[in-house]
Amino acid sequence: MIALKLIGGSLIIFSSTMLGFYYGNRYSKRMENLILLENCIKILETEIVYGASPLPEALFNVYRKGNKKVSYIFEKIRVHLLTDKEADVFNSFSTIAQEIKEKLNFKTEDIELLLSLGRTLGSSDRKDQEKNFKIILNQLQVLQKEAKKERDKNERMYKNLGILMGIAILIILL
Amino acid sequence: MEEKDIGIYENVIEYISLELSNALNKIPDKYKANVEEIRLRSSFPLNIYCMNKDFFVTREGLLTKDKDKGMIVGKKDIMKTFQLISNYSVYAFEEEIKNGFITLKGGHRVGISGKVLYGTGGIENIKNISSLNIRIAREKIGVSNKLIKYIIDYPSSIHNTLIISPPQCGKTTILRDLIRNLSNGLSYLNNKGFKVGVIDERSEIAGMYNGVPQHDIGPRTDVLDGCNKRDGTMMLLRAMSPEIIAMDEIGSIDDVEAIHEILKAGVKIIATVHGSSVEDLISRRSLSILVNERIFKRYIFLDNSLGVGTVKKIIDGETFNPISLEKGVI
Repeated sequence: MIALKLIGGSLIIFSSTMLGFYYGNRYSKRMENLILLENCIKILETEIVYGASPLPEALFNVYRKGNKKVSYIFEKIRVHLLTDKEADVFNSFSTIAQEIKEKLNFKTEDIELLLSLGRTLGSSDRKDQEKNFKIILNQLQVLQKEAKKERDKNERMYKNLGILMGIAILIILL
Repeated sequence: MEEKDIGIYENVIEYISLELSNALNKIPDKYKANVEEIRLRSSFPLNIYCMNKDFFVTREGLLTKDKDKGMIVGKKDIMKTFQLISNYSVYAFEEEIKNGFITLKGGHRVGISGKVLYGTGGIENIKNISSLNIRIAREKIGVSNKLIKYIIDYPSSIHNTLIISPPQCGKTTILRDLIRNLSNGLSYLNNKGFKVGVIDERSEIAGMYNGVPQHDIGPRTDVLDGCNKRDGTMMLLRAMSPEIIAMDEIGSIDDVEAIHEILKAGVKIIATVHGSSVEDLISRRSLSILVNERIFKRYIFLDNSLGVGTVKKIIDGETFNPISLEKGVI
């Protein structure tokens, strides 16, 4: 009987701890992915401003050179752009919005920023594109700072909360 | 042959916005094979030029002369087409846009007009694009086969030659085929072929796309794409040791200077120019220099009396007497 109680108790603590870790990890994942996204956008900037490669080629190179965890979204945008003749660049960017919200733990404002890149990408000359990239990258920095703050504040809290919740449930049940 | 031409047409309309290309796809095959230009003008009907006539295209793909029945091209269509043509990458075609045209895969050229913006270094950009003119390039391999013997200077050289014609009469096509023939070499001359340098200022002769010529210009041909004639001449002479230099649409004083440079180096010239008679040439200051100096030994005049690329006459540049032509030289 005691053995059963021990197993049950440890199961409860284990699962609530995992739950806490899961919620806490979302913050550090977002932070991590924002940094990877920044790298990807920087590669895209180089491709466009210095290499003047056509957009489909530039997007493919970002996919190739960037960290696949995030850069796969650029390959998806490229495929959509080339297959859907009615779409423009912005449409292609919007198709991935929902997916990256779930997969990359991005918040609405992160996605908004990425979409605003899609709105201007490719539509003007190099000088103008360069300016746009600068603005986007600056805003990304701000978002990263914010993400870091949130992570520092919440990650530990959620993890502790998970363990404590488990212990609390155990005490009530006992 | 016709099937290939239809294929070319269908490839080109891929670059046009979906609604318009659907209509263009429905026109009869006979016309598809012969369309020369597709013209998109913002808020005017869709217009094509075909066999020296122009038609408006209706939504159902019928050709009509009635402008009210034609399908109206919207600003959105122009924007979309422009995006497809530029591959969603305006920045990659900055230079081309400044020159007013973009070359597509296959050597087709798209002319752009709209609001031109000037910067410190000349034209900076074209915005509010209002018209697009898609010129379908059809290479006609072999059109110069019968012409070539009139420009050969026996035994192993050629005469400096000027091809003169009004627009849309096949100057560039003939020039391209001459280049191909000279570069390939002529069996009856026992010649191994000439080294030809092409200065392709308007990207029309070779139709370079990503560094690959889209037309057959022969195996001994070097192309300077998008280069102006004066700079191009110096570069070719200095580095590529050509035996013949070919160029399109001469006319400015700079071009005349370039031609003098070429002569100094003992290299032969083939060039084209807009016009329809020797008097036309003399009336232009820069060209009259060339005519008076008797630089060109052969003037080939084209018109479209018997279809595009009819050879009207060939004039000897020394005596200005016509050279008698065999029948069937087109």
